[in-house]
Amino acid sequence: MSFLAPLFLAGAAAIALPILFHLIRRTSREKVTFSSLMFLTSSPPRVTRKSRLENILLLLLRCAVLALLATAFARPFLRHVTSAPTGNAKRIILLVDTSASMKRDELWADAKAKAAEFAKSAAAGDELAVLTFDRGARTLLAFNDWNAAPIGDRAALVSQRLQLIEPKFAMTQLGNALLSATELLDHENTSAMARQIVVISDLQDGAKLDGLQGFNWPRNTSVNVVQLKSKRPTNVGVQILPEPAVTTSGAEVVKVRVSNSAESKREQFEVRWSSAPTNVVAVYVPPGQSRTVDLPKPAAADRVMLTGDESDFDNTAWFVPPSREQINVLFIGDDSDRDPQRQLFYVHRAFSDTPRQIVRVAVTKPDAPLPNTNASVIVVATAPSAEQSTAIAEKLRNGATVLWSMTTTADAAPLAQLAGVSITADEASSGKYSMFGEIDFAHPLFVPFADARFSDFTKIHFWKHRTLKFDASPNARIVARFDNGDPALAQFTVGKGTLLVLASSWQPGDSQLALSSKFVPLLYSVLEFSGAIKAQALAFNAGDVVDLSGVTAPKLSVRKPDGSIADLVTTSTKFSATDQIGVYSVVSAQPPFQFAVNLAPEESKTTPLAIEELQKLGVPLNVTLAGTPEHNARKAAQLKATEIESRQKLWRWLIAATLLVLMVETLVASRLSRRAATPAGT
Amino acid sequence: MHAGVTLLPVIMRASQTPATAAAQGGKSFIDPQVLMRIKNLELRARVVVQGFWNGMHRSPYHGFSVEFTEYRQYTPGDDPRYVDWKLYARSDRYYVKKFEDETNLRCQLLVDCSKSMGYGSLGYTKSDYANTLAASLGYFLFEQGDAVGVLTFDEAVRDYLPARNRPGHLRQLMLTLEKAAAGTATDLIAPLKRAAEINRRRGLMILISDLLAPVDRLETSLGTLAASGHEVLLFHVLDPTEVTFSFDKASLFYDVESARELYIDPALARREYLRQFTAHTAGIEAICRKLGVAYHRLMTDQALELAMFDFLRARDRRGKLVKRHNR
Repeated sequence: MSFLAPLFLAGAAAIALPILFHLIRRTSREKVTFSSLMFLTSSPPRVTRKSRLENILLLLLRCAVLALLATAFARPFLRHVTSAPTGNAKRIILLVDTSASMKRDELWADAKAKAAEFAKSAAAGDELAVLTFDRGARTLLAFNDWNAAPIGDRAALVSQRLQLIEPKFAMTQLGNALLSATELLDHENTSAMARQIVVISDLQDGAKLDGLQGFNWPRNTSVNVVQLKSKRPTNVGVQILPEPAVTTSGAEVVKVRVSNSAESKREQFEVRWSSAPTNVVAVYVPPGQSRTVDLPKPAAADRVMLTGDESDFDNTAWFVPPSREQINVLFIGDDSDRDPQRQLFYVHRAFSDTPRQIVRVAVTKPDAPLPNTNASVIVVATAPSAEQSTAIAEKLRNGATVLWSMTTTADAAPLAQLAGVSITADEASSGKYSMFGEIDFAHPLFVPFADARFSDFTKIHFWKHRTLKFDASPNARIVARFDNGDPALAQFTVGKGTLLVLASSWQPGDSQLALSSKFVPLLYSVLEFSGAIKAQALAFNAGDVVDLSGVTAPKLSVRKPDGSIADLVTTSTKFSATDQIGVYSVVSAQPPFQFAVNLAPEESKTTPLAIEELQKLGVPLNVTLAGTPEHNARKAAQLKATEIESRQKLWRWLIAATLLVLMVETLVASRLSRRAATPAGT
Repeated sequence: MHAGVTLLPVIMRASQTPATAAAQGGKSFIDPQVLMRIKNLELRARVVVQGFWNGMHRSPYHGFSVEFTEYRQYTPGDDPRYVDWKLYARSDRYYVKKFEDETNLRCQLLVDCSKSMGYGSLGYTKSDYANTLAASLGYFLFEQGDAVGVLTFDEAVRDYLPARNRPGHLRQLMLTLEKAAAGTATDLIAPLKRAAEINRRRGLMILISDLLAPVDRLETSLGTLAASGHEVLLFHVLDPTEVTFSFDKASLFYDVESARELYIDPALARREYLRQFTAHTAGIEAICRKLGVAYHRLMTDQALELAMFDFLRARDRRGKLVKRHNR
């Protein structure tokens, strides 16, 4: 029998007390007054034979109570009953972290040393595999390799393999790695062996633990976590925000976020562009917080650098400026550009230049021939001529988007011709004004307004509108209705293109639409709907897969930041070898295409993760702190003992026995006192 | 001239001889337990003394009193008041008249009122007993026409009432005795020395105490009294438990004088106590014998009348001695 808290056994020494009490004749607290003590001397307490004989059973019972209590408190357990015998062979997976944060300090060297230590301490019968992990887990040493190697060379083999690799720039996905390791352990048909996963990592706060929640851990699996600690806790990450660079007063400005880890000892840092070493912006970031600063961008700058940090693995952020696109919009109508009562006036002013795109509005009179521009959106304000209609229909079928605002009921006939359905229109006789009554916010045009904060269209009054009537058709769809039920915005699909019909117009005589805050977003929605504005993704995190489907190049090969060229498989347009940070470029792409790969912001959060987080997720932990091996062994033995003890719970039986003995003691004591009292009473 | 000394046999007859009375545990006398229930000290004393007739002692001293004894030639320094002018007229010589002293006996009661006297196992304390004894003696003597005074003491003299015989003095005496609350420790040297200083005129000194003080000190103090020519009578008042140490349970014993506490198992301590106590009393008796002090041991369960007999017997013996001496 072993004890979890053997110190409590010292409490058994209390047995001496009842023995002493039984031996010493009870000292009377009675006070007797006497005239003088001049003839008296103090008598020593006497040991009386009488009491010893009389209460021997009580004495034994009381001693038993104390002994049982002391034993119960010492938490005894039987080692031989343990279900997981220590001598058995184990299957061990070493999960070695190779995420970017392991580049810090001496962490990688420590990790290699720890892994080698574990490999050395493995018993001859143990099976061991080494997996490295960042975003995913990769096998560095398989069980078969381990088993194949001679027993004496196994530890060396692990060290040798570990020497070959280095931490990359990917982020830490500990959850995935643990699941992969469990899968690998499960995969093999060795259910009888105890399984152990040893995680050697800096266990940073930013490590993703997805997938662990609710995971049903297999029996016999335990996870040891070796948390490596950096000697330099300060770490700051720099990140370029994905918002497009805003131009103010002509200069491009990029927003840079600087995040300081909670354990940092420093607060003052500097950021600058690599090409402008003198133009430094000082940032004050208290530990655990982040600050965003505006950094004016010089012309040929491609990265932001941060100074003042102790660990520099995450102090560079790469940046590729988005290329400017030109979008052509064709406006058909006889409006004057200077007439605020007409529609063109507002269309011109709605599209201003942005760093991402330039919108060119070409104007054509209804009777002039249609210019041969690559317009993605055609806005029709006045009914076009027959020739124009034919050309528009042609463009429509090829995928153009036409926005027709009906200013008169006469537009119905050419509209019906264009849409290919019969459309009639009457001037609506609304008493005062109409409003949008029903809007399909699921439609791409109105998706940006779906949020309750932006979905109020009731302030836009339509003084006049036309009552559209058309046959129900699978190609026709009403996107919005007026409050009297008339269609306000209808969509007709013609070939590859879309015809959008507004049953009113935005000229002030018809409605307040052009004057409302909804007008410009709505027009941009039309541009996006037409496919003219493409979402440009130019910033990625290390390990991300980049979709190059929009890039036109004879052969897809990517030049990495270090100059090496990676060819894509001919059938694939996905590039996944983003294992470096920096600017990647697609070789001989037309137009040239570049993208930046940066460190994931989570990787900069290097504050050590609380082990309790893993415990909360139900990971069967066997915590191993980075202490001395003897200390760890002692701790492990203690943990094991605690586990066995908590399973056996012998102390409960001891407490029950104590209570039983106490009851017997009470009975005996009461009987004895009754017996003592009876003769006195008679 | 009165024959007070002859009174004793009469009283004796009334209630057997003192020796037999003592042997019977004072059965024909008033039980002290009953006596102590009487609250008033004077009444208690009167009860004790009842049956005793006030007798006169033959005065061994000359004084200026009513009864003429002789003439003496005047010498300068004599009080001119006592010059017999008629005789001067007749004989032309100065003579002073001498009278028999009116007050025969000056008796001083020395009553111990230390804390140890406050102990009692019979429902009343040694102090109660001692006071009643003192009151009875005082009453008896006062009624006899003797001058009686009282001095109470513990470590020092607490109260002092000079020996007198005049109306109201007895009342005062009783009050003084009643007032005698338990004092502190017993120390006989200083109070007895002081008593000897105060009472210059030779007389009777009756010391009532439990004498719970070291024997050597007692010798000094009694010696002081005896040396100043007083006749000393010692009543050693003791509680029965003090003599027998008849406790049975081991307990914490509390000393009333020193406030000391001792854990004492009587079974173990009794023998040693009795040995020491006997040695102590034997020592006192030896000292008394040596100094010519009449010693009487009184247990508080003994009848007070026995004490009176002891007193009278002592006086009788003394009186005979004085008579013999005068002849």
